[in-house]
Amino acid sequence: MLAADIQFMLSLDLRQAETVLAGIIREQMPIRTMTPHGSKMQWLGVARALMTALVLFCIALPLHAAEEEARVLMLYGLDPYLPPFLAMDKAMRESLASETDRRVIFFSESLDSQRFAMETLEPQLAALLAKKYNALRIHVVVAVSRTALDFFERHGEQVWPGARVVFVGFLGYEFKPSALPPGASAVLSILDAAGTIDIARRLQPGARRIVVVSGVAEVDRRAEQQARKALAELDERVPVEFLSGLPLPELEARVAAEPPDSIVIYLAQFRDRDGRPYEPHEVLRAVVKTSRAPVYGAAETMLGLGAVAGSVASYESRGRLVGEQVRRALAGGPPDPSRSVLAAPNHCVADARALQRWSLDVGRLPSGCEIRFADVPIWRRYWWQIALTLAIVAAQATLIVALFAQRRRRRLAEQAEQAQRAVLARASRLALAGELTGAIAHEINQPLGAILTNADAGDLMLDSGRDRRDELRTVLANIRRDDLRASEVIQRLRDLLGKQKLERKEFDLNEVVGDLESIMRAEARRRGVALEIRRAPGTLAIMGDRVQMQQVLINLVLNAMDAVSDESEARRTVVVSVAKGKSGAVLAVRDRGRGIAPEHRTKLFESFFSTKRNGMGLGLSITRTIVEAHGGRVWAESGPDEDTVFQAELPLAIANGASSPHAA
Amino acid sequence: MSTTPLIHVVDDDSSMRTALLLLLGEVGFEARGYSSTGEFLLQPLPDRPGCLLLDLRLPGPSGLELQEALQRQNIMLPIVFLTGHANVSSSVRAMKAGAVDFLTKPVKRDILLDAVQRALARDATQRTAREKADRLHVRFASLTPRQREIFDRIVAGKLNKQIAYELGIAERTVKREREQVMAKLDARSSSDPGRLAELP
Repeated sequence: MLAADIQFMLSLDLRQAETVLAGIIREQMPIRTMTPHGSKMQWLGVARALMTALVLFCIALPLHAAEEEARVLMLYGLDPYLPPFLAMDKAMRESLASETDRRVIFFSESLDSQRFAMETLEPQLAALLAKKYNALRIHVVVAVSRTALDFFERHGEQVWPGARVVFVGFLGYEFKPSALPPGASAVLSILDAAGTIDIARRLQPGARRIVVVSGVAEVDRRAEQQARKALAELDERVPVEFLSGLPLPELEARVAAEPPDSIVIYLAQFRDRDGRPYEPHEVLRAVVKTSRAPVYGAAETMLGLGAVAGSVASYESRGRLVGEQVRRALAGGPPDPSRSVLAAPNHCVADARALQRWSLDVGRLPSGCEIRFADVPIWRRYWWQIALTLAIVAAQATLIVALFAQRRRRRLAEQAEQAQRAVLARASRLALAGELTGAIAHEINQPLGAILTNADAGDLMLDSGRDRRDELRTVLANIRRDDLRASEVIQRLRDLLGKQKLERKEFDLNEVVGDLESIMRAEARRRGVALEIRRAPGTLAIMGDRVQMQQVLINLVLNAMDAVSDESEARRTVVVSVAKGKSGAVLAVRDRGRGIAPEHRTKLFESFFSTKRNGMGLGLSITRTIVEAHGGRVWAESGPDEDTVFQAELPLAIANGASSPHAA
Repeated sequence: MSTTPLIHVVDDDSSMRTALLLLLGEVGFEARGYSSTGEFLLQPLPDRPGCLLLDLRLPGPSGLELQEALQRQNIMLPIVFLTGHANVSSSVRAMKAGAVDFLTKPVKRDILLDAVQRALARDATQRTAREKADRLHVRFASLTPRQREIFDRIVAGKLNKQIAYELGIAERTVKREREQVMAKLDARSSSDPGRLAELP
């Protein structure tokens, strides 16, 4: 047990340790006196007490240097857990904590007088409390309710010697300041029955009856008296009926029978006429539930439990006043007569939900009436959070829409650009075709000429009269072969010129050279240029559009042929080569022309840049566009007295490059 | 010396070349094919009537270049150009250099054979003229130096008296030598040697 004590003490604040120590010592003393035969036990007890004292002395030593703590006892006449008391207690403690540097320790005792008969218990309770607070000095006793004050007046000097009292009067029964014990101060609340009835009359101007509900406990009766007095003063012409101390079922039945245009005033009911105790709010809840007529309450906590309205003093403001009185009492000195009795102001408070339930007009409430529990629309209560959220959502939506629009615009622009590029590429191909007309005509006329000549020869063979079937068959075979040759040339031209749509297929770069070999050779012959073609061994598969790649090749080859056109015969050489490079397939076109002037080198691949007399300046620009669209790059190398090489490097379709088995 | 004309066909396109050789053979000509100008030049040119059927564009030296080379070498083989695609400048150049015709493929049989016939005719004419000139050259070579001096003056239209005076010989001697010159050159009148002198 002692170990537990010490543990408990260690868990306490050091300032509390002294108090606990006193308790322990008191506990040990009876052991010594009550066990006359156990001297061992005696000494053991003393030793334990001394040891504890020593320990605690060491712990508590610094305490004496600090200001003595203030001890406040809350003495409740009623159940301290009633909502008004809790609300008040909280406000009081907050007020004290913010206004005082001194540490305040609260103790609490409850007489619970409405549920237990104080007359029989009081002597023993007083004795018990006297014993309990024997060694503990209480500085201020806050007596909540008249019962508590009465108890203090009778036993205070004995139980809490030297304590000053602060009286807190609830439920507004009459209290004369002169009735306060000397040195006492008070916080009173006035039961404003008159004010509450006035509010009820305003809300229900056509009310035909007023029913007042109250109990028969002492506090109930005091409240009822005040209500009767107020009603008498109001000079009401409306009949008033008092329902005092009815047992709950009966009360419920009575209230339920009330017509809706009655006014029900609920004061408080702690006890019914049969002596059954109630928690007042429990009664209010029952009344509110069954009543067809609006129910009014005179205490703050009743609003929110179903009462429509009332003239009430807020418990919070009362709690602050109590805190003020306690602070003054702790400070000591003579009481200030002007501040010895304080009262929280009453004001009109209404419950919006109850107003709605009984269809009462809010507009009839007195001006300045506080309306609680108003069903504030969610958008009004959280307007800025909602506004912010909406703003963010709107901003996001705008952003998303903007991004979509931007993406769409970009896509359209890309499509337009691609279409333009295709048109330009085609125009450039047509221009190329123009340049190649001679070569093309040659390539077609060659087989056509052979066909015609073979046909003539065949004709003559038939005319010879002899059977020369085998020879004729050879002639026809030659005709067929040449016909196919001519149509192949035309097909290739159609491929090169007619096509608009881009393809994305795998093809061998060697084949591109093969496709155009005859035309390139024809053109080279026409221009008197020696053309050398070197293909790569195996397959150099690249991904893309074969016709566009043909265009690249023709562009580069025609450029090279142009470059050597004015050179001596020895230098009129163009070499086309396909090879595997470091990072892809390389198509290179080499010429022995005059090279590229250094000042032209940077502009080489720009659109509309040309050094040729009739050049459009599109060939190399389109070449670069095509090569880059295939993921490759194109560049030119040229030095004084060196060959000029245009190279296009294109990524291989298969990562490991080289040859694939299906194409050779 | 064979009298059958030999037609040389220079075309790099083998099917065209084959077809031409076949056709010419059917018509009764003897024809020989070459795939390039170089191949043609490497073959010894037989001394027989014939002509050259020449493609314009060829690998290596072109048809026009061959035409120039033959002219430089004084080889008078008549040339018919046959090309897949003609442009004005090359056709003008070829014709100025003495081509018989300039044909475009595909070419009709009649036109081709007509051109070949004309080429052969020109070849024949050229051959006759050349043979005659050659004969005259032989005769001219048989003249003595004195007779050549007298021949030169005859051609210049001088009288015997003038020639005798210029050469410092007797007029009678001039007259005798003149008769010999006329006999050697097989000329009937004194104007004939003039024509002869104009020969190459």
